[in-house]
Amino acid sequence: MILVDGITLLCNDLEVDPQDIIMLVISWHMNASTMCEYSKMEFLRGLQELSVDTVEKFRDKISYIRSELNDEKKFHDIYNFAFSWAKEKGQKSMALDTAIGMWRLLFAEKKCPLLDHWCQFLQTRHNKAISRDTWSQLLEFFNKVDTGLENYDAEGAWPYLIDEFVEYLNENGINHSKME
Amino acid sequence: MSAQKKKAFQIEAFKHRVVVDPKYAEKTWKILEHAIHEIYNHNASGLSFEELYRNAYNMVLHKFGEKLYSGLVTTMTSHLKEISNSIEAAQGGLFLDELNRKWAEHNKALQMIRDILMYMDRTFIPNTHKTPVHELGLNLWRDVVIHSHAIQSRLQAILLENVRRERSGEVIDRGLMRSITKMLMDLGPSVYQDDFEKHFLEVSADFYRLESQEFIESCDCGEYLKKAERRLNEEIERVSHYLDTRSEVKITNVVETEMIESHMHRLVHMENSGLINMIVDEKFEDLGRMYCLFRRVSNGLVLIRDVMTSFIRDTGKQLLTDPERLKDPVDFVQHLLDLKDKYDKIITSAFRNDKTFQNALNSSFEYFINLNSRSPEFISLFVDDKLRKGLRGVTEEDVELVLDKVMMLFRYLQEKDVFEKYYKQHLAKRLLSGKSVSDDAERSLIVKLKTECGYQFTSKLEGMFTDMKTSQDTMQGFHASHGSDIGDGPMLSVQVLTTGSWPTQPITTCNLPAEILGICEKFRNYYLGTHTGRRLSWQTNMGTADLKATFGKGQKHELNVSTYQMCVLMLFNDADRLSYKEIEQVTEIPTSDLKRCLQSLACVKGKNVLRKEPMSKDIADTDTFLFNDKYTSKFFKVKIGTVAAQRESEPENQETRQRVEEDRKPQIEAAIVRIMKARRVLDHNNIVAEVTKQLQSRFLPNPVVIKKRIESLIEREFLERDKGDRKLYRYLA
Repeated sequence: MILVDGITLLCNDLEVDPQDIIMLVISWHMNASTMCEYSKMEFLRGLQELSVDTVEKFRDKISYIRSELNDEKKFHDIYNFAFSWAKEKGQKSMALDTAIGMWRLLFAEKKCPLLDHWCQFLQTRHNKAISRDTWSQLLEFFNKVDTGLENYDAEGAWPYLIDEFVEYLNENGINHSKME
Repeated sequence: MSAQKKKAFQIEAFKHRVVVDPKYAEKTWKILEHAIHEIYNHNASGLSFEELYRNAYNMVLHKFGEKLYSGLVTTMTSHLKEISNSIEAAQGGLFLDELNRKWAEHNKALQMIRDILMYMDRTFIPNTHKTPVHELGLNLWRDVVIHSHAIQSRLQAILLENVRRERSGEVIDRGLMRSITKMLMDLGPSVYQDDFEKHFLEVSADFYRLESQEFIESCDCGEYLKKAERRLNEEIERVSHYLDTRSEVKITNVVETEMIESHMHRLVHMENSGLINMIVDEKFEDLGRMYCLFRRVSNGLVLIRDVMTSFIRDTGKQLLTDPERLKDPVDFVQHLLDLKDKYDKIITSAFRNDKTFQNALNSSFEYFINLNSRSPEFISLFVDDKLRKGLRGVTEEDVELVLDKVMMLFRYLQEKDVFEKYYKQHLAKRLLSGKSVSDDAERSLIVKLKTECGYQFTSKLEGMFTDMKTSQDTMQGFHASHGSDIGDGPMLSVQVLTTGSWPTQPITTCNLPAEILGICEKFRNYYLGTHTGRRLSWQTNMGTADLKATFGKGQKHELNVSTYQMCVLMLFNDADRLSYKEIEQVTEIPTSDLKRCLQSLACVKGKNVLRKEPMSKDIADTDTFLFNDKYTSKFFKVKIGTVAAQRESEPENQETRQRVEEDRKPQIEAAIVRIMKARRVLDHNNIVAEVTKQLQSRFLPNPVVIKKRIESLIEREFLERDKGDRKLYRYLA
């Protein structure tokens, strides 16, 4: 098993920050079951998928790996993978803090104006763990519904947490032209 | 001559050549012409029918039918012209009379002429497609007499004038009218219609338009309706006496339109006498009349129904939001029942049990009863009151009546599961305190609930009854085997309740007095001896006790108290004064219960077997309690325990509501799973609709709650979202 120390070493060799989102993508390639540890099988599988067998080749592949985040389908998979990976082993849901951290990481490069409001909403109103369904549906929500919320369909079978979020936005007048 | 010419009865022409006199036709015609004159001059008796018939027959035979026919036309026409003149000459009232008489005469004449010319009628006329004699006679009468310029307008005017006179109360010659209208009808339906009926209807419309306007300004609603009804009946009667029956529906339409339809809204909403006033004052006759009249016009009943419905809804809404009324639940429910009775009576007596009205009443009740979330509790309290004392001494049939009324209200409830919860609580209290008026009445209601809601609803309730019965048997067994042991000690009576059937109670601590611990243990051992594997726990918050107390001057009383109160009072056998803290320590009764218990023992007039220092109304931790030596009561038996079911306080109500919400969650989930198992794949809105449908006999599920349950089921991997369409859910086996 490669644990925290090993991973730090790996990051050094790759010249990336351990907090860098690229570690998530790499873990995704490995199909790692949980963050901060790789089993031998997972590690090898990842390397195989990336077609690298030396550190140099791995280092060279970094920019490609980073670019994978721009592919919509891949991002979708990586995003959903992140849930199982980042949550506590053995728990069904993800702790709120972890979730917020992950979201900020994932959406850092993407244009996501509602993200801050979402995090604030959760911290003030919800304060509980995030279910898998809510996690995966959030991506759909950010993709499908515009910032002005014009095409938000109340009958759209969104998770109730998202319904409450929309209510929260409306209550606080955060919609339509107020958004950039 | 027989009118029927059968085949076997042919009269043939003469076989020998007949010399036809060239002037034959003319001569023969003259004979016939003369005959016609005589007939019209009432001189027919001198004529020979046989001869005339023969002449006519011959004319036709010898091909002079045309001459005969045209001669007939000319002759009849000229006679009719004369008749027409004489009718015109008639003055005033005699006009109709004359017309009628001449018409009768003409008919008689026509009959005779037709008989004479029968052969022509049967042969020449059909062959040449000419108008048969009788019809010809009618047509000529119509054209020459009736439609003569002078007569036509005069006839119309006089007929209409007669109707007008009759409408204003004069008596007219109805027989004459009938004959005239019959004449018009005989002349052809369009004659009756164009010459009379059309104008009759127009004039009537004007008449009633004016009259209804007059009435509506001067009468109240009830009076107006009476007048309208009277006019309507009058017109119907008029038709039956001297008009064509097909005119009835037309003239009643006119009256309905002018008198009812035009003023419908004004009548219903008339201040001080309109529909609402009639309802409030229970004017059944007026209401019945309104119903019958309004039924005749389109949307008449709809109007009544709508106004009545919104009034009922408003009344109900007021009742349900009036805080004064809501203070006494039993009274409140009684008001609801009275309201329903009132409207049932109106619908039965005045509205002919009209189903649409019944439905409107039902939906109104359903609407406002559910406006108040406490309705289920109140209805249960009403039942409790009845079964506890209200039905004492009432006959079996009347008991059934009351229970049926309760069921009727129950059906209107949207939140039947809330009712179930309260009913269970109240029933438990009734059973345990032995305060039910009639076991039969209790069971009867359970049966009704079972019929309405199914076995599941009542199985636990029935379990409660079973427990009571079983406990009786158990007690018998206990006393039989331990009777001798008890001797002078306290008498114990135990009800063993099966957990699950009875309303859940939180377990509370309470130390029972030493005096009864002995017998309690004996019972426990006895019971567990015969029922191994069970656990018993004393429900100290539900029991009662009868204590014999002796006060200062030796006065004895029997006190009926709750178990908690017993525990407290028994302490005073060994001490005259005890502090609150001491009592709390020894009994270990929970604080709020203990305070309530002490309050009922020390602060209620007539029941203060304890004295409190200081004498304030509320119980404080620092209070001290003393045995009240000086207690008196004129009754030997004094009841201090609070056992009767009461209207919940706000916080209690909140708590119950919360428990109900919690109970609903698994029911909703079960419904979702049932539905998804059957359908495999279903979209969100349909799930919500189906779940609602399945559960609506118990309560109306909140769509947000349904959504949360779905998400919970997704979390627990019973369902998943479809990969392609996020609004679809799939059942995971």
